[in-house]
Amino acid sequence: MVVLKTIRHLSESVEEYFNITQQVHDIVRNSGVKNGLVAVITAHTTTGILVNEALPCVEADISEMLEKTVPLEAPYLHAHFLPTYGATSNNSQGHLKSVLTGNHCLFPVIDGEIVCGGAQDIYLVEFDGPQLRKVFVEVMGE
Amino acid sequence: MLIDMHIHPIFYGPICEDEQEVAFRGDTFGVWKQGPMDFDELFAEWNVCGLTQAALLPLDVTTTAGGWVVNNDEIQSLCKLYPDKFYGFASVDPHREDALEVLEKAFHQQGLRGLKLNPSKQKFDPSDPCMEPIYSLCEKENKPIIFHAGLSWEPDAPAKYAHPLAFEEIAIRHPRLRMCLAHFAWPWVREMVMLMIKYPNIYTDTSLLYVDSPEEQMQQLFTKDMGPMWFERCFPRQVMFGSNGPRFRAFKLKRALDKVPMRDFARENLYYKNALRFLSGEEG
Repeated sequence: MVVLKTIRHLSESVEEYFNITQQVHDIVRNSGVKNGLVAVITAHTTTGILVNEALPCVEADISEMLEKTVPLEAPYLHAHFLPTYGATSNNSQGHLKSVLTGNHCLFPVIDGEIVCGGAQDIYLVEFDGPQLRKVFVEVMGE
Repeated sequence: MLIDMHIHPIFYGPICEDEQEVAFRGDTFGVWKQGPMDFDELFAEWNVCGLTQAALLPLDVTTTAGGWVVNNDEIQSLCKLYPDKFYGFASVDPHREDALEVLEKAFHQQGLRGLKLNPSKQKFDPSDPCMEPIYSLCEKENKPIIFHAGLSWEPDAPAKYAHPLAFEEIAIRHPRLRMCLAHFAWPWVREMVMLMIKYPNIYTDTSLLYVDSPEEQMQQLFTKDMGPMWFERCFPRQVMFGSNGPRFRAFKLKRALDKVPMRDFARENLYYKNALRFLSGEEG
């Protein structure tokens, strides 16, 4: 059995840590799947799916680490007119931060519930907002 | 206050009900992989950079491409939704026989604030005498014109019609007609500068972002392509903030311009005062 749901979120700032933990747990609970896996996958290449503890200080440390590793101003190649878009690319920082955070996470599902640690919250992280974003949540199992 | 004087509302939700029409706009304007957006998404982006108003630009390419890239009625309808946020411009294909009637309707009945023309896409020489009735009407009605100038990414849009020198004779013949040669006429920045020094009725905007990051491009424009004092010293009343959305994102250009050194009076002019004067002909 496979159940696919989509979480939609309009980010309102350039970088944003949006906690989707409760939404994902609710989707699993309502899916009808008792035992299996849940995959949380972003539909974008300038967002990340991050699993970590939902504390403002942890968010700030992660954000600072990513900013140091991938600064806004650097001689990125992806900063020019893109003929296939008819628009200018200027979001290399978002792409690279997305690489560092990854685009998905997985959790086991047992007895209709996600099995996870108490500090494991799930974030959709925006790196090129504001934009309307989609996250696919697929619950697979029996 | 921040006014974006260069927006093509191709993907604004309320005027995107017809999929074929949206596809025509995208193909004709040369923009792909974007889709309709609602105002909550649009205004979220405005809020990031403090954008308060924007000029919405249509384009009539009836005789050259068989339609409009957003028409005057659609601009009027968007302005009715947010009259405090949008300055609606008209367009008209200069080759159509009823061009003056279209414009008179736009100015007198639709409340549109100025005229948008793209000589490259609409295929006309800006100094051609056949354009005189349109320029004279705009001058008489105190309506400014925004011309596309410089590189055009639109398909089938020769740059020869958009060289800044092609507009000089209009400035000579119509000294009271305010006109914006958009995009700093990139890559012809020096020619653009020459025109602004000589003709106070010629304006430009900052909607160029073709070869660099926003920070790199704005530094290049304001400190290298031009001397670092040229804007505030020579033509501080003639450059307006413009993004060219949906090609470029306004908040990134604003972020880059915030980093360009300039005096407070020049920055205020750039961000909104020049736009207000361009729109009305009067001090804001």
